[in-house]
Amino acid sequence: MKTLNEIRLLFWRKVLETLRQPIWIITGLTTPLLYLALFAPLLNGMKAMLGNGNVLNLFVPGILVLMAFGSGMGSGWIVIWELQTGVIERLRVTPASRFSLLMGSVLKDAAMFIPPAVLVILLAAVFGFELHWAGLAVLLVLLFLLTAVVSAISTSLGLILKQIGSLAAVVTGFQLPLTLLAGVLLPLSIGPQWLQIIAHFNPMYYVVEAARALAGGSLANTQVLLAFLVMLPLSVIVFAWSTGVYRKAVA
Amino acid sequence: MNNAIEIHHLTKSFPAAGRGKKAPIQAVRGISLNVAQGEIVGFLGPNGAGKTTTLRMLTTLLPIDDGQACVAGFDLKTEPQEVRRRIGHVSQLGGADLSATGRENLLLAGQLYGLSYAETSRRADELAATFELGELMPRIVRTYSGGQKRRLEVALGMLHRPAILFLDEPTTGLDPQSRAALWEQIRKLRSAGTTVFLTTHYLEEADELADRLAIMDYGRIVAEGTPRQLKQLIAGDAIVIKPRADGAIIQTIRASLAGQPYVRAVTVQKESIHLYVEDGAKSLPLVFDHLKTLNIALETVTLSQPSLDDVFLKTTGRSMRDNATKEGIQ
Repeated sequence: MKTLNEIRLLFWRKVLETLRQPIWIITGLTTPLLYLALFAPLLNGMKAMLGNGNVLNLFVPGILVLMAFGSGMGSGWIVIWELQTGVIERLRVTPASRFSLLMGSVLKDAAMFIPPAVLVILLAAVFGFELHWAGLAVLLVLLFLLTAVVSAISTSLGLILKQIGSLAAVVTGFQLPLTLLAGVLLPLSIGPQWLQIIAHFNPMYYVVEAARALAGGSLANTQVLLAFLVMLPLSVIVFAWSTGVYRKAVA
Repeated sequence: MNNAIEIHHLTKSFPAAGRGKKAPIQAVRGISLNVAQGEIVGFLGPNGAGKTTTLRMLTTLLPIDDGQACVAGFDLKTEPQEVRRRIGHVSQLGGADLSATGRENLLLAGQLYGLSYAETSRRADELAATFELGELMPRIVRTYSGGQKRRLEVALGMLHRPAILFLDEPTTGLDPQSRAALWEQIRKLRSAGTTVFLTTHYLEEADELADRLAIMDYGRIVAEGTPRQLKQLIAGDAIVIKPRADGAIIQTIRASLAGQPYVRAVTVQKESIHLYVEDGAKSLPLVFDHLKTLNIALETVTLSQPSLDDVFLKTTGRSMRDNATKEGIQ
């Protein structure tokens, strides 16, 4: 109860902070919209290879995963800023649990991912993306979880590295291989076997596979089950680790 | 529990930066200190003396390497959570949330300590009035001036009425008026029974506020005591008397005063006699009485006290003022 109340207070602090800087919401939207406008048309030329139906059905789920990843990734930068201005230190002196300190911003990131995601889905629908509401709802839950995990990792990296430069190096170093090996832009099933084998070590791969199944309206299948079986334990491990990092954080 | 803070042989070192094997930097080298409840204790020392590191250990922000510390009756190592409930801390960085309003900052601070919204709100208004932040409350902190932000941060540290308040250079960057107002607040806290532990560069501040001072240098406490005791450590007080008499009689007076138990040393310069005594205020009447028995009239008397700057110079070999001015420019 105490923890829930703390999380609520800290969550609102972060939400207000974000709403006061709408520029970030807008720049967060530009990436998916640019992909939809400038990349999706290219896929139309590959219809023969990708199979029947609108290419957006294949492409939009990947873009949503990319958006979730991006929404979570920003928290590391903010936490470094808060370390430098003493906010983290001030919060760490309070009796609030370290888990609450972490989850306030993690849940903000995850919640803030939902509205632009819905907007992208609706916009894509105008161009022929098929809407399967039940599947999309479960997909948003899965991506909420992904955003939270990425946000917690980014926060921890920020607290450990303490320097914007080091964080940027680590994040960009991981971001490209992780997204490429998840088949975000094109399904890995059209690639060679070795690529698919490596991809199985990437948690994001399972999310992307499940995202395509869910967007297609298929709820009960192995891909969806696998994605949750990977993401749920992963989030428990990551949140526990990040709480520990918060406990030790030294400016 | 009699003592608010009990520190025993507290030690902290940091790994040295840079390549190769370097000896770790010993920031705090085994300090011991007790702070009674309701006392204002000041840590005085140059930059890098270990004041902030000590404070950060006592406020649960840094793990202790060695030694023991009890804060508000709880062991820092085993019960940091209980310690946090009972302390307030205003760090050098301050830590006000820049993208929130002053009021939002205060409301969050109180509620994180489990206070109700209504109670927090009431106290926020109270503190806003005390620190003259009233009109600033609905404004985003980013728009505050340095002094306004500092006042808010001090308010943030005391809203939950901690038993012990730690202030790390609370008045750095404040104008004289705000500084005086903050001193006033700190004294009020003490009369309400709050223990205050502060670090400062400013000798006037230490002198003005602290019941007891510890001078830190290179991670050690090099001197400790009330501001008076510390000053007496140097030379005691100086009493300069100028009798209405000529040279020969002055020498007689000198010899006579030198035999008094409260006089540590006597020197004669021209027509005046310099007496070094332990406690000037107490000795002055004794000197008067003694001179009366000798039937000597005085032309002038001055009583001067050594400043903490002298104490600092003596104990650390460096002048505090240099540090303070440098810090002011930064």
